[in-house]
Amino acid sequence: MNESKPGLTITSIALLVILFLQLPVIVVVLAAFSSTSYLTIPPQGLTLKWFAKVLSDPVYLDAIRISLTLAVGSTVVSLVLGVAAAYALFKRMLPGTEALTSFLMAPLILPSVVIGVALLQYYSLIGWRGSFAALLLAHVIITVPYIVRSALASLAGVDMSVEEAARVLGANGFTAFRLVTLPLIKPGLVAGALFAFVTSMENVPVTIFVASAKQTTLPILIFSSVEMGVDPSIAAVSTLLIVATVFVLWLAERWTGFHRFI
Amino acid sequence: MSSLKLDHLSKHYGEAVIVRDLSLEIANGEFVSLLGPSGCGKTTVLRMVAGLIAPTGGKITIGEREITVLPPNKRRIGLVFQSYALFPHLTVFENVAFGLRRQGVKGSELEKRVKDALALVRLDAFGDRYPRQMSGGQQQRVAMARAIAPRPDVLLFDEPLSNLDAKLRDEMQIELKRLQRELGITTLFVTHDQAEALSLSDRVCVMAHGNIEQFAAPEDIYHRPATAFVASFIGKPNRLAGKVASRNGAGGTVEIGGGVTLNADRLDVATGGEVELFLRQEAIELRTTPTEGPVNSIPGTVQLRSFSGAHVQYVVRIGANTEIVVEAPSSGAASNLEKDASVYLAVAPANVFALAAAEGARS
Repeated sequence: MNESKPGLTITSIALLVILFLQLPVIVVVLAAFSSTSYLTIPPQGLTLKWFAKVLSDPVYLDAIRISLTLAVGSTVVSLVLGVAAAYALFKRMLPGTEALTSFLMAPLILPSVVIGVALLQYYSLIGWRGSFAALLLAHVIITVPYIVRSALASLAGVDMSVEEAARVLGANGFTAFRLVTLPLIKPGLVAGALFAFVTSMENVPVTIFVASAKQTTLPILIFSSVEMGVDPSIAAVSTLLIVATVFVLWLAERWTGFHRFI
Repeated sequence: MSSLKLDHLSKHYGEAVIVRDLSLEIANGEFVSLLGPSGCGKTTVLRMVAGLIAPTGGKITIGEREITVLPPNKRRIGLVFQSYALFPHLTVFENVAFGLRRQGVKGSELEKRVKDALALVRLDAFGDRYPRQMSGGQQQRVAMARAIAPRPDVLLFDEPLSNLDAKLRDEMQIELKRLQRELGITTLFVTHDQAEALSLSDRVCVMAHGNIEQFAAPEDIYHRPATAFVASFIGKPNRLAGKVASRNGAGGTVEIGGGVTLNADRLDVATGGEVELFLRQEAIELRTTPTEGPVNSIPGTVQLRSFSGAHVQYVVRIGANTEIVVEAPSSGAASNLEKDASVYLAVAPANVFALAAAEGARS
C-alpha cells in the first residue's frame, strides 16, 4: 500500500510550494493588525483600528459599493446571456458553433490590457465613456466566458431526452428548459457565477481603462492607494476581501457541492 | 383515443435516406410494433410521430387531427423512452404530475389522477421517492405512469425494455400488455427484439432500410414471411441458396445442390429462378427413419451436439457438404443423438420459405 502514497520528498516539495503561494496572503492578513502606520512584517502591536478606519472611510465604502454593484450586475447579465448562448451552442442551433464558442471564450485568452484599450477607444468613439452601462458591459465581456464554459460542461452531463420528455408531456420549449434543464445544470451555473463574480470583483486591467474617476472600484482604489504610499488600511481592506471570498466559496460548497464543477 | 396514420412519411439527411415513403395505419386502440435491426429507421419514425424530428415529406394524422408540423407539446402523445428520461430532480409524484400540470390540472383532481396513474403501475406508495432511489424496473413503471397520466391519444414506446435484465423484461412485458389492454390506448412500440414484438402486438411492422418489409399479424409474420428479409430476421433460420426445379400450383420444388430437393407450399419464383431458402432451426424435426408423404425428408449426419437447457442444438451435414442447425426440444425423442449418427431432417413444406433473393437481408 505504501507505493500509492507520495514519498517524503514529493510531500515536502508540495508543502513548500503551497507555503510559497500562500505566503503573500498570510503577510497581508498579519500586516492588517499592525499598530504601526506603515506595513511591516512581523507586525508590531495588535490593533483593529485599520479595519475601523476602512469601514468608516466614505471613499472605501463607495468603492466597495461600486464593486459589489458591478460584480452582482455583471454576473446576472452574464448568467442570462451566457446560459442562452451556451444552450444554443450546445444544441448546435447556429452554423459555426466552434467559431462562436472560441469567440465567446476569447476574453479568457486575450490579454486584459488589450481588451481594456480596445474598449476605451470604442467607448470614446460612440460617446459612452464614463457611463455605468459601459463599465457593466466591459465586465460582462470578461465574465461571460466563465458562465458559458460551466454551462456547456453542465449541459454535456445532462441526458437531453429529459427535455424531450418534458416537451412531449406538454411543455413548450422555454418551460421545458426552465423546469427541467435549468435545475439540472444549476450547480454548474453556481460555480460559473462565482468565478464570474470574483473575476469582476478583482478586475483591474480592464476597469482601469474604462472606469471614470467617479467609478473607482475597490481593486482600483487599492491599486492607486498603493501608488500613493502603503499603510495598513490597505492590508485591512485586502483582508476583508479575502475573508469575503472564502465565505462565499464556503457557502457555495455547502449549497451545491460545486467543487465537482471546477 | 384515436387512430394513427402515417402517410408517405419520409426523412432524408442530405443524401442519406433514413425513412422512405412510409405509409402505415394503426387502428384505434391497436398495439403495433415497429420491428427491425438498428439503423432501419424505426426510431426515426417514432421521433417524427412525437414531433422531435421534422419529417422531410409526408403526413401524420391522429384521428382527424393532422399533427405533421405541430410542436411536441401540442400533439397529446405519451412517450416512454429507452433511458426512461425521468426528471431526476423531481419526486415520482411530480414526475407523473408534470404532464397534468401542463394541462392546468390542479389540487385534488391532480392528486387523484397522479395516484390513479401510480396505482395502475402498482407504485402507489412511492410518490415521495426520487427516481435515483428506485430500481430499473420501478423507474420503467414510473415512466409509463408519467406517459399515461395526461391521457394521451397515442402512446409511443422507444425500446422501453431493452435496459432491463431478462427476467424483469418478461415481467414488464406482461405488465405492459395488461396496461395497454386496460386503457385501450393506440400504441406504437419500437423494438429490435422479435419475441417482444410478436408477443405484445396486434400487428407487427417489420422494417429494413427505411422501408416496410411486412405489416401483418404476429402469426403471419412468423409463419408466412413476405420477403427474404423477414424470413431471415424472424426466428432462427438456416439460410441456403437454391434454384427452382419445378412448379406445382402455388408451390414447387427447390434444388439446393448435392441432389437434395425440398418441396415448398408457396413459391413466387418461376422455374429456373434463383431463390433464398430459409429453414427455421425450430421447424425441423430430427428422425432416425425416412418419412413418407408430403413432408420433406432429407438424410444427413450429426456433426455436433450442444445442450442448452430447454433445447438441444445439432449441426447436421446434408447433401453436398451443407450444414444445417436444428433445434430439438431436450425432452423430445431426438435429444440424445451421437456424433456421426445418421438422421433424417423432416420439414413440412409450409415451413420451407423460398423467396426471391433480396439484397442486404441478414440473418
